[in-house]
Amino acid sequence: MDELALIHAAQKGDLDAFNSLVLAYQDSVYNTALRILGDGELAADASQDAFLSAFRNITSFRGGSFRAWLSRTVTNACYDELRRRKRRPAVPLEPETGEGEELESPRWLADPAMTPEQELEADELEHAIQHCLDALPTDFRTVVVLADIQGLDYSEVAVSIRAPLGTIKSRLARARLRLRECLRGFTELLPAAFRLEEESRI
Amino acid sequence: MTTPSFREIELLSAYADGTLSPSDAARLESRLASEPELRAVMDELRVARAVLRKLPARKAPRRFVLTPAMAGLRPPLPRVYPVLRFASALATILLLFTAAINLVSNPPALGFAAPAAAPFGGAGAGGAPEEEPPATMQAAEAQIEPTLETADSARVAGTATPEIMAKGFANEQPEVQPALRVPYPWQSRLLIAALVLAGAAWLVRYLNDRNWRANLQRTKR
Repeated sequence: MDELALIHAAQKGDLDAFNSLVLAYQDSVYNTALRILGDGELAADASQDAFLSAFRNITSFRGGSFRAWLSRTVTNACYDELRRRKRRPAVPLEPETGEGEELESPRWLADPAMTPEQELEADELEHAIQHCLDALPTDFRTVVVLADIQGLDYSEVAVSIRAPLGTIKSRLARARLRLRECLRGFTELLPAAFRLEEESRI
Repeated sequence: MTTPSFREIELLSAYADGTLSPSDAARLESRLASEPELRAVMDELRVARAVLRKLPARKAPRRFVLTPAMAGLRPPLPRVYPVLRFASALATILLLFTAAINLVSNPPALGFAAPAAAPFGGAGAGGAPEEEPPATMQAAEAQIEPTLETADSARVAGTATPEIMAKGFANEQPEVQPALRVPYPWQSRLLIAALVLAGAAWLVRYLNDRNWRANLQRTKR
């Protein structure tokens, strides 16, 4: 079944059809939440909340980009989670040091055949990027995650965060510049292509 | 020229995404060729954009599929449930019917309070919506009691049902008349059938719901 047929079935209350959509989008949704929240546990909770809310409100989807519509749900779930975390700041921000599955090597989606060295590099780069993302104001972080990590186009990001295109453009530009500034502290972790560019300019 | 203004940075960022109009893009390109400061910022934006896009995606740590309970759906009714419920209702109707015949042919001279039908009260508390209104069951029992009473005191038959006797409303009514058209074993059997079927319906549904919830917990983990 194609996506639109699944959406229509889900709108009629077909939970199996909706769950097919969940399986198709769960990695994307989880990654969005992970990058906005910077914490695997919280991201999993936010993803589950997002899908629940998506099912309850699926009749409000009236065409257009389903990915953008779903991104809005995830973003809202993340903002709820951030508000909760603000109220209860005891939640650890870095559960990696505690017990749990985070101790295992991370399971990457893009390339399951990565060597341990490559995984380590990806791990370190990921931590550097996440550190820099966390330093951004939430609204900037959300835009840059949706546009640059999830690859949504401007209009999709605008739908996701209910903001005009101009706001998206300006937040994205600021976020990228700040991220670049922050990543300067992790030059040795950047992939070789970016390092060469950096060195050649100096 | 000095450091680019924020308006220019926005333009460069949009240019990196390829979202400028052809004329705007051409104008910016010619400026990039002649202004190294602009070019430097452009490189910064490009690196940031490219690093983020290179970040590999993580796998979701678990499946986020929704269970019917999470989606707010009700558990499916067991197939046998409506059959049992219907049979129980039918037994109750027949019971009322025979009691009515009995009443017409032999009106009781007394009216004592009937105790509440215990199994039906239990079913209601268990959360299973029973169709049979308890009031009619009580009425039905109230009809049976004098019948049993009279039959017992008259010693017509020796097979009094222990369920009914155990309820403890055996107030002696010696002046009741012994003549009965409808024999009491017929009514007591109907009453037992109604109660047993209702109990079975409740039990089947209770077990089904419990099973369903247990499955939910398992899929949620």
